[in-house]
Order: sequence, then structure tokens, then C-alpha cells
Amino acid sequence: MDKNLFEKSKKIEKITFIFDFLAIVIYLFLFFSLFQLLELPEIVDGRMALETLEFMTPIYEYLGSSFTHTQMNSILSILVIFSIVAVPMLVINIKKNNTKTIYDIDSYVAAGKFVQALINLLSFNPISAALRIYNTFVVIKFVKGYNVKEFFKSIPSGIKGSIEAYKEKRRILAEEKQVSDEYSQSLKKSIRTQTLFHTLRLLGTYLFLVVMALIIVIPFYWMVLTSLKNFTGATSADPEFFIGISRWNWVNYKVVLTEMNFGLYIKNTVIIALFSTAGTILTTILAAYAFARIEFKGREVLFSILIMTMMIPGELYIITNFLTVSRNGFGWVGMPEGQNQYFVAMIIPFVTSISYIFFLRQNFKQIPESLYKAARVDGCSDFKYLMRVMVPIASPTIFTITILNIFSSWNAYIWPRIITGVGGEEGKSYWLISNALRDTSFTLDNTRVMYNLQIAASTLVTVPLLIVFFAFRKYIMNGIGRSGTKG
Amino acid sequence: MELRLENLTKIFTNKNGQETKAVDKLDITIESGTLVALLGPSGCGKSTTLFMISGLVKPTSGKIFFGEDDVTKLAPEKRGIGLVFQNYALYPHMTVFKNILFPLENMDVPRDEAFERVKEMANLVGIGELLDRKPSQLSGGQQQRVAIARALVKKPRVLLLDEPLSNLDARLRLQMREEIKRIQRETGITTIFVTHDQEEAMSISDKMVVLDFGAEQQYTAPQEMYNNPANLFVAKFLGNPPINTFEAEVKSGNLLINDKKFMSAKVPDGEYIIGMRPENFRVDDQGFEINVKEVFHVGRDTMIHFDFNETNVRALVDSESMTNKADKVKLIIKPSKVYIFEKETGKVLNHE
Amino acid sequence: MNKVLNPIKAFFALIFKAIKTFLWNIRRGLNKVKRKITDFLDKHNINPAGKFPGWIKALLYLSPALIVLAIFTFWPIINSFALVVYENYNSTDNTITGYTIFGNFIKVLTDASFIVPSQNTGSSAIINTLIIVFISVPISIFIALAIAVALNSIKPLKGFFQTIYFLPYVTNTIAIGLVFAYMFKTDGGLVNQFLKIFGVTKDYSWVQVGATYNRAMFVLIFYSIWASLAFKIMVFLTSIQGIDKQYYQAAAIDATPRRRIFTKITVPLISPMIFYITVTSVIGAFKIYNAIVALFGVSGKPAGADFTLESIVMYIYKFIDGSNAGSLSVAAAASLVLFAIILLLTLVQMQVSKKRVHY
Repeated sequence: MDKNLFEKSKKIEKITFIFDFLAIVIYLFLFFSLFQLLELPEIVDGRMALETLEFMTPIYEYLGSSFTHTQMNSILSILVIFSIVAVPMLVINIKKNNTKTIYDIDSYVAAGKFVQALINLLSFNPISAALRIYNTFVVIKFVKGYNVKEFFKSIPSGIKGSIEAYKEKRRILAEEKQVSDEYSQSLKKSIRTQTLFHTLRLLGTYLFLVVMALIIVIPFYWMVLTSLKNFTGATSADPEFFIGISRWNWVNYKVVLTEMNFGLYIKNTVIIALFSTAGTILTTILAAYAFARIEFKGREVLFSILIMTMMIPGELYIITNFLTVSRNGFGWVGMPEGQNQYFVAMIIPFVTSISYIFFLRQNFKQIPESLYKAARVDGCSDFKYLMRVMVPIASPTIFTITILNIFSSWNAYIWPRIITGVGGEEGKSYWLISNALRDTSFTLDNTRVMYNLQIAASTLVTVPLLIVFFAFRKYIMNGIGRSGTKG
Repeated sequence: MELRLENLTKIFTNKNGQETKAVDKLDITIESGTLVALLGPSGCGKSTTLFMISGLVKPTSGKIFFGEDDVTKLAPEKRGIGLVFQNYALYPHMTVFKNILFPLENMDVPRDEAFERVKEMANLVGIGELLDRKPSQLSGGQQQRVAIARALVKKPRVLLLDEPLSNLDARLRLQMREEIKRIQRETGITTIFVTHDQEEAMSISDKMVVLDFGAEQQYTAPQEMYNNPANLFVAKFLGNPPINTFEAEVKSGNLLINDKKFMSAKVPDGEYIIGMRPENFRVDDQGFEINVKEVFHVGRDTMIHFDFNETNVRALVDSESMTNKADKVKLIIKPSKVYIFEKETGKVLNHE
Repeated sequence: MNKVLNPIKAFFALIFKAIKTFLWNIRRGLNKVKRKITDFLDKHNINPAGKFPGWIKALLYLSPALIVLAIFTFWPIINSFALVVYENYNSTDNTITGYTIFGNFIKVLTDASFIVPSQNTGSSAIINTLIIVFISVPISIFIALAIAVALNSIKPLKGFFQTIYFLPYVTNTIAIGLVFAYMFKTDGGLVNQFLKIFGVTKDYSWVQVGATYNRAMFVLIFYSIWASLAFKIMVFLTSIQGIDKQYYQAAAIDATPRRRIFTKITVPLISPMIFYITVTSVIGAFKIYNAIVALFGVSGKPAGADFTLESIVMYIYKFIDGSNAGSLSVAAAASLVLFAIILLLTLVQMQVSKKRVHY
């Protein structure tokens, strides 16, 4: 166990990360540059002639070479695939590199590095590939003490060794069969039957899980697939289940983003999500602290009243809230053009949620009171204690609340619809994604629906959340699971 | 810093209006730099007293003085005390270093000096190498040292510990109580700690206060209290195996046991409670004869059970002196080791 | 390499330290000021909060939340009760023509599309909602429980499956609803293609022109269950994992068959969770809205259909847009009816739980 080799391997790995990262940057840069080049149909009479989208065959020029329409698609597809593979790999590798100890290194690690080197080669990342291959041999030397030549020499003897071991095993098994003791025979038989049942049950469980998983996943697959088809493909009576990368029409996304304004709608939704979540966190932390730690008369009574209001359906609030924010009340919507504050109307009413206050209060209460006393003795004020002790300790719960809030903002429909509905054209520019999805007309001449574009919009709206999900997967799932157990 | 409690009283009123007197006119002066134990059974008011000294609990009446200052109405953070809780109350999300640093962040101390103090304190309590760990990565003993360091880093006038050793396992307890003593010696801070374990209190404290139902029973050095208990309660509380007590009559200046004269007693005639510690008996031919009920040999000690006035009494003698299963044995005990307690009040009568 | 890095590192470390020291000193200064103030107050025995120090602090902390809640939660509740007794409330000029106690309720309860379907509406909001609740909730709980138990019993690939099952939660209801509508497309939709494998020749219409009530409802219920599984699975899995292994070990020693283990040990021990999920699922299912809009649009029914798949909430929202005078009162009345139904069902469930739920 040569510690120097271990350190060396780690260092090489770190350098490889830099090149991995550079590769990703290049992939993304290329993708976006080429995406900009994609040609959209012309504007005729104020709207884009989307019927022609299918039949356009532009030639693109980039960096001196020219590509056809299909070649462009293929390149974009390849770049996307590379990015999807490279980014998680990089993240996982960085995590592993930081946490691996000297005892975790074995020959599987070396094999893993070698495989990754191959992936790097396929992703047009020769530098990372070369570094990784070098690292493979460093690890092999570390584990087995060989250097390159000896390693290759040792392969045949290694194979021989495993064949020997296998033969030995067979021999022992055969010997055991000779034992004619009745009891052990029947015992072995029952063990074998048990194992059979056990295996069958295991297989059955996996089968069930796989079927369920397919039911869950197929809509997603179908969604992405359709979003890349052209109009004929999406509306055909005999849809294809798979299309080649040259037929992945990335231009669909460009249409949806620009002409159908989804870029704007996504931006609106992000703004709402950010501000509403920030406001919620603020009010919730303060209120939960008040209910959990501050002693004041009527605390329990007030809290019970709040709990009771949780049962009342939200629809009841919407009616009055609409009146409150419109001309008769605060005047945020329903005013003449230019005087409307749509974002304010969409955010403020939902900046507090009683269930979050309840949830966080539970968590605050679980923090031992002796910590508070210790802090008081040390001269710590209430607010400081809240910020520097309780919030950090309760951070998983606060994180869960953030996620829940973001998801509900992402899914908001009825309230934005009512708010922007009274604003006519001006209101339309404040649509959130749910409104846009439902109310945008994806039709050609008001009859035929351009499903490929509609589904592309759906995909566009789903992908950011998926990315957030995969990044914080563990925390999100744990948080949701725990939020249920609050009972 | 001398600490003085003047007629300190605390009465709790619960929801139904019932009153409980937790601390009853406690009046004590604790000299500067001493290690004093607040000792007593559960519910005797020792923790309440400690928290009143800290300021977390307001006394119903009475005063508390730190030196010359009347701190009775002063908020806890202004009194300059360090408090170590029973469960240590370490902030789980901060490293040891940050935990110890926390009190200094609220004081007027320059950053460099604060960092120095933290390191110094950590070394003093013996956890200098663990500064980067989180509390969950430490053992019980280590956590306690961190708690002590955090309390001391403020250079408080008084250090208070609430049952510091009760969360530790037996062997660690021995080690840690010596550590507490050592730390107290090195820093010289007036220290008060609460415990229900008399052996622990006796082994390290300079003086002990024994409380029962909030009232002070006795306040003196441990060995002194052991040898000269002020009343029956104190006598029974200290000592393992516990002191033997039984009722006896004094007639004409003689103490009668098993209807025989045992020794002379300079107290008026009447009924009394007599106390004798098991270890003060010796086997001797000149002694008082008793009928042996049972004999237990435990290594170097032997425990003899017999009856005084129909009450079971234990004597702890050398195994050498009591070899065979004799039915009768003669025991002696020094008169100065015989305690005569008044029956109603429990006060000791023949000792000053 | 280090020779270059070290001075750079040292430089940054110095800047870092300077910033930290600066922040520290700010805090020191603030502490000093605070102490001077409190010392001053103590010396002169000024106590602004008097006998109720807790109140002022609590007020400060609670005010942001309470202000928002007061305006957007408490006031609406009160106002709704007011709205419900207005007659012909006109929101543009804020006028009413009179008061009526039950008038609006009667309007709601006699509306054919709400309670009892008449010949030409084919179905009503209440019936639709009840169907959805009583079919989708039990099925989804059952499936979620089965999946959670299955997940709990495997070790390899557990995390992989968990992630997959959680995906529906991470989506936008309308987006995936559109996908489902597309999958159930009459002409070449995935579902019809799939059925062709089994020899079905006809192209059924599920959500488009020509769809029957049963088929459309099927799609809605299917989507509803699909989308709600993720949360349930996660909660069930967490609580099953929280069961002490010793119970299972004791049962194993007694050679308990697996079904009994499930019904007599697992289910009772997680019964509080099942109860909680049931109550919240019922309440949530009663409020179904986004899913219907996603599949069928704001009209709540397939194009050209003579029935409607409206839910109670959809019915309510119909009246909010409304420029009809008095429509807001009807909406308020309908909401209160919804509240009453939910309250009733919740109370019933709580009664049932007294026998079945073990804490």
C-alpha cells in the first residue's frame, strides 16, 4: 500500500476533472451556437408559417463547413447525448474522489477507470481518455504492485488461477454429494426448495417492479420522442417508436421558445417561484419560531385557529382574493393597461402557508430546549439563536419546504389564469407555464394540432424540474418521505 | 469570586394553584476558588438552586451575591457564569471549535484573541486535537469536556455544572471527576456542581451542601460531614454501605441495646435513634456479644448481619478477623463513632 | 507547481481573514451597543414590554405571516360567508340587489350540472368527483403500498427504482396531462397501437371527439392514479423502513407466512401513515382540477360530447370568471358545499380510524 501512489492517483484524477469540465463546456457552447443557427419559418401576415416547417431544408454554415438539415440534427443530438453522459459522470467522480479512502481502492476501481477512458474517447475527449488510462495503470500498480509490463504478463496466470479455483469448487461439491446421510440429504433438499421459492419470489418482485416502472417511464419516453418528431411523424396513424438521431428535430424547441414565447413564460414562472419561495421561507421561519419557542399568552389558541383554517378548501379563498387584488381592493389587476402589477398579485397571497408553519414548528420543537438555555447563558439573543442554531439544525426541513414550494409554483394554474385573464393582451405576457401550455393554440389553421410542438413545450417545461430533481435527489426524496411522517 | 446566597427561596405554583417549595431559605457563603457540591436526593431542589444562581430561574425571595454585586435581578448573560448542562447542550451542527467559540462571539473580544482562547481552553480540558470534529463524532467524555471548555472560555466568575457525570458510564465517571477537579484547580474558578451521587461529591469537592426538600441540612467539608453528620438525614445519605440506624432507649445515662447496657450516654433519658457505621465495628474479645444472623464474605471485607433492638444491623470487618461461622461474636465500636439522634428532629446530639 | 500555488493561496487566505475579522468586529460593535442600551434600561428600571415581554417579541416575529394570512386567508373566509348571502352581487360596481340566506345554495343544489344530472348533461360535478375519489384513491393506495413493500424487500437497484417511481412528482400536471392526452389519441395514439397488439381492430376515441363517458373517465382516473403514486410510495416506504426489524425477526422465528406478516405486522404498524395518506388523498382527490384541464381543456369534456367530466372545483371556477351578476355568490356557496362534504368524509374517516389505526 504505497500512499504516494494513492495520492498520485487522486491528483491525476483532479487534473482529469478539469479536462472533463472543459469538454462539457465545449459541448454546451457548440450546442448553443448551432442552436442559434437553426432556421425558423418565415413570418407571413404577422404569424409564423409553421406549415412550412416540415418542408424546410436549409443548409447551415459553421466554422467554414456546411451542413444539411439532417446533419445538423445529428450533431446537435450527439452533443446532447455527450452532455447528458458527461455531466453526471463528472459530478459522481468528483464526489467519489473526495470521499474515497486508501482502503477503497481495488482492481475494480482500475477497471472502472479504464471503462471511463473508453467513454471519454467516444466523447471526443482524448486528453481525459489518455489521463485516465495512465491513472488505470497507476492504480493497478498500487493494488497489485505491478507496473504495466508485469500486468500484461500476469493476465494469463490470473486466468489460469481462476480456472483452477473453479475446478476445485466443483470437486468439493461432488464430494459433498457422496454423503449418503439421510438427514443431510433431506435437509439439503428442503434448502434447495426454499432457495427455489425464494428465487421465484425475488423474480416475481422484480417483474412487478419492472412492469410498474415501465408504466411510469413510458409517458416520459413518449414525450421526449414526440417532441423531436416532425408534424407528419407526430400525427401519423402509425407512429414510430424510435427515430434516428438525424431526425431529431431540435428546431421544434426553438419554435416553442421563441415564436410561442415559452422562453418568456418560463422566465415568469421562475420569477414567481423564486420570490414566492423566498417570501415563504422568511415568514415561515419567523412564525414557526414564534409558535415554537416564544412564550406568549394565547399561543396555543392562536395556533389551533390556524390549524382549523387548514381544512378549508383553497377555492374559497380564491373568490375573495380575486376581489381583494382587483379594482375594489388593492388594485393590482383589472386596471387599465400599464397600471397592473401582475407579479405582485401572483406572489403576495401565497407567501405564507399554514401547513409549512406547522411542519417547521414541529421540527423546531424537537430541538432540545437546553440548547436555548445554553445560548442564553452565553448572551445570545433570540434572533441570533434562531438564525445561527435553529435554522441550521432544521435545514433539511427548510429545504423540503423550499422544494415543495417550488413544485407548487411550477404547477400553479388557476390563480395565474384568473389574474392574467382580466388583463387581456397585457395579461397574456404574464402567463405562467401551465397557462401557456393549456391556452396556447398549437394548431395549424385552427384545425390540426401540431402535437410535436405541443409536446415539445411540455418537455421544455418538465426538463428544468428534472434537472433540479436529479441534482438534489436524495434530499428531495428523504424530505418528502419525512414530511409525510409528520403525521 | 465569592458567592453568597441569602435566604434564597423558590416556590412553584402549578396550574391548579398548588404550591411546591423547591428551595427553602437557603443561606450559604461559598468561598472563592472552591469546588462545592450540591448534594441530595431527587427533587431536593439542588438543580433549582443551581439555575437560580445562573439566572435562568427567578427566586421567589432572597438574594444572590457575586462578590459584592447583587445579581438577583440580573439577566443570566450579564452575570458572568458558565453553565454545563446535564446533556451538554452542544450545538450539533457546529464543530467543536465553533461550539467553544460561540460565547465569545457575543462578547467584546478581538477575533485573534478569541481564537487563542478557544485553543487554550481546548488544550486545558484535553481535547486540543478534536477541534474539527462535530459533537456526534465524539464520545460522551469528550463531549463533556467540550461543554466545560465552552463554559470556561468566557472566563466566568462562577462555573456551574448540572449533574455532570450522570450521563457517563461507570469507569468514565471515575476518570472525569478527577478531570473536573484538575481543571478547577488549574483555573481557580469558584465551581458549584449538582449531583445525587454522594461518593462522587465526597471524592472531589472541597465542601458539600446537602439539601433535603429545599432546606440546607449541612454545609462543610466532605470528610467532616461524614464523620460528624449534623442530622440523621445527612448521616443516612453519606456512606456506602449505609449507616445502621435503630431505636434505643437511654436510661440513667446508659444506652441500652438488646436490653443490655452498651455504653454511657451524656444525654437525657428517653427514646433516641442510634446510628453506627458498619465499618466502625471491630471484632474484639472485650466487646459486646451479638448473635450472628448471616455472614457475607466479599474479598477483603466481611459483612456480619445481626440484630440490635430487633433491627437488622450490618458490621463490616476484616475477613481475617472473622474466619469461621461462629454463632456469637464480640464487637466493639468507639463511642465517638456512635451517633445519637433526636427522634423527632433527627438532629445529632452527641457531636458538635 | 506548488511554488506557484502557495503564494496565491496565502494571498487569498489573507484577504479571507481580513474580511472575516471585519465582520467579527462589526458584530462586536453591535453587541457593545446592545449591551449599553440594555444596561441603561436596567439601571433606570425601564421595561417597555411591562408584564408581557413575550407579546412584543411574538408580534414582531409573527407579523409578516399574520398580516398576509389576515388579508388573504381570514378575510376571505369571513367575506365568503358574506358573499353567500348576497343577491346578484355585481363585482364591477360593487352592488347587490338584496340578501338571501339560502338562495345561492338552492341555485347550486338545483343546478343540473352540479348534483343530479338531467337528460342533457349526462353527468354532474358531484357524481364525477365522487367516482374519481372512490375509485382512484383506494386503487392508488393499494398499488403504492404494494410497490413500497416490494421496494423494501429488495436490495440491489432499490435506489434506481425509487428514483423512477418518484419522477411523476417532479413534473407539471398540465404538461404531462397533455402527453397523456396525446398517448390516448384516437388516431395513432400509443394506447390504441398497444391495443392492436392484442387484436383490437377499432381505433377507440378516449379523449377526443367521439369519446364515451366511461372511456374518458378511465383516462382521467388512470392519470390521476399515475400522478399520485410517487408521493404515496415515498411516504409508505419511509414508514415501512421505520419499522423495527425485531418484529420481523420474531415473526420469522415463529415461521409466519409472508401474507400474515404483511397483514398482521406491517399494515398495523404503519396504519397511522395509511390513515394520514387516506385522509389527505381523499381531500386532494375531491379538489381535482388541473388534471381535468390538462386532458380535456377548460370545458371539462371531450369535444362535442354531451356529457361533462367537470369536477366540483371546476364547477366552482366556472363562476369566478363569470361576469354574470351573482355568480361569485354561487361560487362561494358551492365552495361551502364542498367544504361540508370534505368535513363530513374526514370525520367519518376519523371515526373508522379509531378502531383500525394503532398508534
